[in-house]
Amino acid sequence: MAGGSDAGCWGKFLAGSAGGVRFKEIGGKLIVLFAIFINGLLYGGTYALLAVGFALVFGVAKIVNMAHTGFYMMSAYLIFIGVSVLGYPLIVAVLLTVVGAGLIGVIAYRLFLDRIKEHETAVMIVSVGLALLIQELLLLFFGGHYKAIPPFIHGFITISDQQVSYQSILAIVVSAVALLVVWFLLSKTMLGIAIRAAAEDREAASLMGFNVGRISMIIMGISVVLAAVASSVAASIFTIFPTMWLHPLVIVLAAVILGGLGSIKGSVIGALILGFAESIVVLTVPKGGYLGGVVSLCIMIVILMIRPEGLFGITFEEERL
Amino acid sequence: MYLEVKNLSVYYDTAVVLNDVSLYVNKGEFAAMVGPNGAGKSTCLKAMAGLIQWQIDTLKGTRLGKITLKGSVKFNGEELISLPAHEIAKRGLILCPERGKPFREMTVIENLKAGAVLNQKNMKENIEKCFRLFPILEKRKDQVSGTLSGGEITMLAIARSLMADLKLLLIDEPSVGLAPKVKADLFDRIKSVNEMGITILLVEQDVSFAFDLSERNYVISRGKLVAEGTSKELMADELMRKTYLGM
Repeated sequence: MAGGSDAGCWGKFLAGSAGGVRFKEIGGKLIVLFAIFINGLLYGGTYALLAVGFALVFGVAKIVNMAHTGFYMMSAYLIFIGVSVLGYPLIVAVLLTVVGAGLIGVIAYRLFLDRIKEHETAVMIVSVGLALLIQELLLLFFGGHYKAIPPFIHGFITISDQQVSYQSILAIVVSAVALLVVWFLLSKTMLGIAIRAAAEDREAASLMGFNVGRISMIIMGISVVLAAVASSVAASIFTIFPTMWLHPLVIVLAAVILGGLGSIKGSVIGALILGFAESIVVLTVPKGGYLGGVVSLCIMIVILMIRPEGLFGITFEEERL
Repeated sequence: MYLEVKNLSVYYDTAVVLNDVSLYVNKGEFAAMVGPNGAGKSTCLKAMAGLIQWQIDTLKGTRLGKITLKGSVKFNGEELISLPAHEIAKRGLILCPERGKPFREMTVIENLKAGAVLNQKNMKENIEKCFRLFPILEKRKDQVSGTLSGGEITMLAIARSLMADLKLLLIDEPSVGLAPKVKADLFDRIKSVNEMGITILLVEQDVSFAFDLSERNYVISRGKLVAEGTSKELMADELMRKTYLGM
C-alpha cells in the first residue's frame, strides 16, 4: 500500500497529535484521566458517526460497505480542496462537502452497489475496490504527503492545567448532535419507521407498501453524509493522507461487530468503547499509538468469545428468505 | 370480477409449485382457499401480492435457483403480475403474511404506523378503528411486538394491513398455532373486517372454521385447483370431504 510506511502513519496519526489534548505535565493521575476522557469522547464520537452510517447501510440495504471510510477520507480531501485549492471559507467548503459527498454516495450506490447487492462477496470486493479507487485517485492528484485542514476555531481552553482545544470540544459536540439527530430521525419520524421496517424485514416492509430499493438509496446518502460530518470536524484534528481510511475501517468493523450486527445502539456503544480503549492505550502505554488497532481487535475478540452475537445483537429464531 | 387470476403457475427450478390456477373473487366477498400442507396455497397468495416477483428480482443472477412465474393477476381491471410488491400494495391489495411477520423490534403502535405508510392522512382514525376492532392491541400499544402472544401477533398483522387504504385483504393461515378459543375469537374479528366492506381471500388449513365464514371456497392440492363451490356444496360431496377436507 502506498502512502508511506503504515506503522509510521499510525504512530503519527495517533501519538504524534494525540487527539485534541496536550499534556502540560504527566504528573498527576487525574490529569491523565481527564485527557483520556476528552480523547475518548473525541475518538469515540468520530468512530460512532462512522459506525452508525455503516450499520444503517448494513441493516437496511444488507450491504457490507467497505468503502464507507473511503467516503470519510474523500470528504476530508473535498474540504481540503475547497479550502486550500479553491480558497472558499471553511464553513462553505464543509457545507458543500456534506451535500456533495451525500450525492456522490448515492451515485456510487446506484452505479456500483445496487445492481450486485444480493451477491455478498461481490459487494465486498466491489466496495473495497471503490475505496482503493478513491485512494489511488487521491494519491495521483495529491501525492502521499500529509495534508492539514484548518480548524473551525483556533485556541484552547485550560481546564485544571490541561489544555483542551476548542476544535476538539466542537468535534465532540457536533458528533453528539449528529447522533441525536439520527436517533430522532429513526425513532420519531415516518422515514425512521420506514428505515427500521426495511431493516428488520424487507419482505414484510414491501408488503406494507414501502419501496425498499428507494429506502436503501436514501440510507446510503444519509450514511455518507454522516461520514462527511465526521470528517469535517475530525479531519482538522487528525492529519489527512490517502490511506487514512484503513485504520477507521478496522475500528468501524470492530465496533459494529462488537455492538451486535444490525443494532444501531450497539454500534454507537461499540464505537465509544473502542474510542476510549484507544485513548487509554495511546495515553498510558509507551508507544501506545502503534497499539490502538490491536487493542480494539482484542476487545472485539474477547467480547465475541463471551457473547457471539455482540453486545446488543439479536439472534434470529426464525429463518428469513 | 374484482380479482381475477388466470393460469397462474409458479416453478422453483423444475418443481411445479402452482400449476395453472385460475380463480376469481367478487367485490365484498369472503372467499376461502383450503388444502393440505404444501398444496401451494401460500405460493398462490404470494404470487398475487408480488412476493414471487420480488423473490425473482432478488435471486436474479445468484446460484440459489430459478423461479418462474406465469399467468395473469388482474385486480380492478389492472394487470399486476409483473409489478413489485409495494406497487401492488399501493393499489389496495394487501397480503397479511403467515405468522403475521410483525416488525418485532418495534412497538405495536409503530407497527400500525408502518402499515399506514400509504395512507398517512387517515392514520389517527384508522388507529382508533383498529383499537376498536382489537381492544387488546390498545392495552399493548407501547409494548415491543416481539413479546406479544401468537394470537396478538396475528391480530396486529391484520390491524397493520387495515391501516393501508385496503380494498382486498389476502390472509395467509391466521390460525397457525392458536388455541381453539383464540381461533374462534380471531375468525369473528376477520368476519367483522369483511363486514366493514373489505373483500377477503382467506387461506386456511382448518377447514371447519374457514367454511363457517366463507361464501365461496377453492380447494387446492398439489398446486392444482381441484374443486370450487360454496361450503355446503363441498361438504355434501362425500369423496371431496374425505379426500381433501379431512372430515
